[in-house]
Amino acid sequence: MPSIPDSRANTEGGCEMIQKPLLRVRDLETRFFTEEGQVNAVEKLTLDIHDGEVFGIVGESGSGKSVTARSVLGLLESPGRVTGGELWYRDETFADTVRADHPDAVDGDYVDLESLPSNVRRTLRGTHFSMIFQDPMSSLNPSIPVGEQIAEAVEAQRRARANPRSVASRTQGYGLSQYLMSTVMGSRKYVKSESLERAVELLELVGIPDAPLRAKEYPHEYSGGMLQRAMIAQALAGEPKVLIADEPTTALDVTIQAQILDLLTELQEETGMTILLITHNLGVVARMCDRVGVMYAGEIVERGTLADVFDDPVHPYTQGLLGSIPDLEGIGARLQPIPGNVPSLLDHEMGGRCYFADRCPKAMEECLEHPPEFDVDGSSHHATRCYLAETTYSEARALDADYFGSAEPLEDAADEPVEPARSDGGNTEEDSR
Amino acid sequence: MSQYQFILRRLLQGILVIWGVVTLVFLLRYMTPGNPVDFVAPLDAGQETRDQVAADLGLDQPVYVQYFDYLFGLIQGDMGYSFIRSQPASSIIFARLPATIELALAATIVAIIFSIPLGVISATRRHEPADYAATSFSLVGISTPNFWLGIMLILLVSVGLGILPTSRRPIGFVPAMEMFIFQLEIQGIRTWIAHMILPAVTLGTYFTAMIVRLTRSGMLDELGKSYVLATRAKGVPETLVRYKHVLRNTMIPIITVLGLQLGTLIGGAVITEFVFNWPGLGTLIINAIDVRDWPIIQGSLIVIGVGFVIINIAVDALYAKLNPKVSYE
Repeated sequence: MPSIPDSRANTEGGCEMIQKPLLRVRDLETRFFTEEGQVNAVEKLTLDIHDGEVFGIVGESGSGKSVTARSVLGLLESPGRVTGGELWYRDETFADTVRADHPDAVDGDYVDLESLPSNVRRTLRGTHFSMIFQDPMSSLNPSIPVGEQIAEAVEAQRRARANPRSVASRTQGYGLSQYLMSTVMGSRKYVKSESLERAVELLELVGIPDAPLRAKEYPHEYSGGMLQRAMIAQALAGEPKVLIADEPTTALDVTIQAQILDLLTELQEETGMTILLITHNLGVVARMCDRVGVMYAGEIVERGTLADVFDDPVHPYTQGLLGSIPDLEGIGARLQPIPGNVPSLLDHEMGGRCYFADRCPKAMEECLEHPPEFDVDGSSHHATRCYLAETTYSEARALDADYFGSAEPLEDAADEPVEPARSDGGNTEEDSR
Repeated sequence: MSQYQFILRRLLQGILVIWGVVTLVFLLRYMTPGNPVDFVAPLDAGQETRDQVAADLGLDQPVYVQYFDYLFGLIQGDMGYSFIRSQPASSIIFARLPATIELALAATIVAIIFSIPLGVISATRRHEPADYAATSFSLVGISTPNFWLGIMLILLVSVGLGILPTSRRPIGFVPAMEMFIFQLEIQGIRTWIAHMILPAVTLGTYFTAMIVRLTRSGMLDELGKSYVLATRAKGVPETLVRYKHVLRNTMIPIITVLGLQLGTLIGGAVITEFVFNWPGLGTLIINAIDVRDWPIIQGSLIVIGVGFVIINIAVDALYAKLNPKVSYE
């Protein structure tokens, strides 16, 4: 039986640490095997997510946020694959259910989802884990009424509850022959009328007016905000313990964004579910999250409570991210972009250095070796993958500006007029020169 | 707009289209070389006899008189008399129609039965041996000409193996069924099926191959859409994801192609019918062209045109039913 790697969260105290985490991600690795080569989309990702919290993952496009979400849900598509790591999920009932068939995957209350076969894993979707997506317009089937789609989620959960042992069956009691029968006989349909009624209730719950009527409408008859509400209703249908929200507000108008976030907060308070919120919007993180992980090139480069990360960022990337938010106080001042682009994540281009070193204003000789995770100031809940957590920046050991090649982003940054726009993080470029 | 209004409107439009077809087909007679009188009158006939024959066939009238005569006749179901055989053209054509429809439907059914499962397998097992087999089959199927395939099948299966008959079927579907129902005699149906297999396979191969490709690419397209991920994320069984969601959406464009293709099968089975000496419209048209039997040619083309229009209306109605974004307008 594999042992769970020691979690610092358990050994050291801290008010929210008393409970065992709901989800322990250990060294999760997700790779995409493309024609250009192996892409390391998620790299040795380690995280604890606790019951009832909102954990935010922030990062630029292409940093591996969404892939992380899909890896947790087991929804990667070829050529992507989780190639390593463990994903321990705490649920006593589920642990009991799978213990007999997969003893190696169970440790106490915890089940390692990565060592379960995909058909068992599938049964967790909707009932334990659920997900909402960035673009509600394309995330619902355009040719099936919204109510029926939500009812499918209700039905999936109802059937899973009714027969927990059916986790072992490949088709979950619904194969091609049943489907073919249902096209001829209405009574054999997957979705039963009770589930449709429940779908209407769910639509009411997420604040859709005239729910019985709107349940019969198709996605293209909804507005974007309404559709995202419907998506949330669909995600909540199985009463999941963990809701993964992948950029839930990115495709929406700002006013609608606020409504959707309020709705999520409200529902979370009611149901006590855990939310893994994935976004590139720091405003959303500040508003919603209890704890945050900053993701860069497939790694969590800094994690901690909202206050740790926002008020006391250690990693230059976090500082850079915070420096790129427009600020009312500094109107007219130029924003501080992080120079350069997210690396390609191609395995053979990554090398053994700190992945951020080529864009980092404080790159030093140490950074040529990939940094491990350091605790910040001895804190158990604030950690970063940056040598600056332990050492102070010294110009003597700084790397040359053009160390990483001619198209060196640091040069660009130096050419820009640096204005005292931001109070925090924004002046790091100056430090480096 | 309700479904019935929609269909009614399309029917009215269809009548206009058919009128256009009739006019074109009628004009065709005056745009193509060859005078029917040459075929009807004896070879050594003098001018007087030839004029007499022309008058008998109604060819001495001015064109517009002939046109309106034909049009009014058509409204009453009269397509004129065959120049060669002294029978009404309509009775000759409608005697041939069932064989053509049976062949077209059989080819379509063969195509649907094989192509959609093959396409689904191909898409869901992408880059696996099953996919390669299916895509290779469809490539070969699309690039094989009908007449060659028909002749090869006759040579290999009928002549070589001596399994299936080559030509001239003795019994149609309706008489075969009647025989079965009233006399409990299965022999008729067996004969019918035996004669149907090779022509249906010949005609259906291209069709099958095309739909395999359409299904495969359509399904891959749909599988990549984010609603599929969302549907999987809510815990719905994969069967339902694959068939209720993905395949159903894939079928929307395929239905259109299927309908159009069925239309061309009715008219376009000419070569296959000829190869198998099939007693359908195709052979009828070819023989009629040989002797410039214009009432038969015109009548057959009009029947094919009407078939096209009806199938298109049906496809439109079905399309609107499958795709909620298309309303009956």
